[in-house]
Amino acid sequence: MTSLNFKSKVPVFDANVRVGDLLDEPAPYRDRAGLLAEMDRHGVERALIYHAHAENVSPIEGNNYLEAWLGDDGRTHPQWMMIPTADSLSQIQSLHAEGRVDCVRLFDTGQRDLPFRPWAYDTQLSWLSEARIPVWILLPDADADTLVTTLQAYPDLVSVLVGAHYVHALWLRPMLAALPNAYLELSRYEPICEIEALRDELGPDRLVYGSWYSRYAMGPMLFYLHHTNLTDAELASICAGNLERILQGGTP
Amino acid sequence: MIDGTQVIDFHGHVGRWDPLGMKDDPKLMLHAMDSAGIDKSCVFGIFHPDGTTSNDQAARFIAQHPDRIIGFAYVSPMMPERMIPELTRAIDELKFAAVKLYPPYTLWPFNQPQWHPIYEFANERGLAVLFHTDGGELSRPRYLSEIAPQYPNAKFVAGHAGNLIEPRAEAIAAAQAHPNVYLETCSTYRTPGVIEQLVNEAGADRVLFGSDTPLMDPRPQIGKIITADISDEAKRLILGANARRLLGI
Repeated sequence: MTSLNFKSKVPVFDANVRVGDLLDEPAPYRDRAGLLAEMDRHGVERALIYHAHAENVSPIEGNNYLEAWLGDDGRTHPQWMMIPTADSLSQIQSLHAEGRVDCVRLFDTGQRDLPFRPWAYDTQLSWLSEARIPVWILLPDADADTLVTTLQAYPDLVSVLVGAHYVHALWLRPMLAALPNAYLELSRYEPICEIEALRDELGPDRLVYGSWYSRYAMGPMLFYLHHTNLTDAELASICAGNLERILQGGTP
Repeated sequence: MIDGTQVIDFHGHVGRWDPLGMKDDPKLMLHAMDSAGIDKSCVFGIFHPDGTTSNDQAARFIAQHPDRIIGFAYVSPMMPERMIPELTRAIDELKFAAVKLYPPYTLWPFNQPQWHPIYEFANERGLAVLFHTDGGELSRPRYLSEIAPQYPNAKFVAGHAGNLIEPRAEAIAAAQAHPNVYLETCSTYRTPGVIEQLVNEAGADRVLFGSDTPLMDPRPQIGKIITADISDEAKRLILGANARRLLGI
């Protein structure tokens, strides 16, 4: 039954939240309290967060800025940004040595004409694979063939493909078939009834709820998931359980 | 029906667009509608410049579920001699309720003379005209500020409410300046705060829920309205009351 007001009925661990300002776009909230208030409005318990500055200026500085958003209540969980440089790898490895890395997000180097190829990323991807650290990879500006062939070269690496859109409708099924260790993040995937269809075809374990707040509003996709024919157990897996398993080093 | 409010989706398509995963399977569309409490969806075809092919396709779709689907008539100035005869047929014979226009599939910005016979027709009949609007030069919402005062009996609806920041500001400005301009909400950019901005700056009585179904599932699009930080009364207007007023149902 749909109501004029909505709040999640299952625990939610949002797999894709951006904090802080982009250089050309202030965030709609100024601090951690503002983020938590938005999470509370939709019934989101926890969020995996990365810093906006890491996305479009400096992954290393952005990771430093992320520290201010991490409280001790467990509601904001860090996702560190990585770029294929020695400085970045050193930063991530230092954090890992402190036991603070259970996933990373790859900076989109395509915007600087460095393709996602093993010759450019092998040091990083080999280390992540050996350390069993899952990696979040952006789909919006990706090249499908490059993405698939590169990830196939690291068969033990777990990936979460972020931001699939209807323009990727032809990609997803062959891509997910070719990459058995890949999960699909759902923040922007809106073709009609596709979440239910993917659940039927792949099972619920490969789908992960993310809002990509503050790029997108936090509530709409969560509302959508609650108005499907997913069972409560499937809903709980997609909204939190699958992400928890990924961060603990699990595979689909 | 949501909390006693009849819900009308003001923006939907017929036809297939396979590379983008769009398919007008009525079973899927009705499942999505029923799952979210959407009572009726307005649909149109936009892929055939003759108008007739698209309107007949829409009519066949509507005939499968006439209690749930409302037709909008499509014509294009790319085939100007067909515009008024086809509009007349679609409204009078097919019983379509409004007009849909898609400037990116033409050569002219929608304030140019090629379009005005359509506006005259809508003005004479008191019809709503839904435009695709965005930041492209053919589809700028600022053109609404030129045409709306010339045709006061017609109702002009900015589809996607301009979609992005700058054209959205143009759409809001047009709605503020002219009582016959409305803003429709579907957009793949689910930017935080947009619904609140439309309500606060143009007024809840000028905002219409739309989804772009079946290109996009209507559930996240109605979720934008339900999860927005606006009053329940504003949600009722956006979800259905405004559309009923515009369509006379």
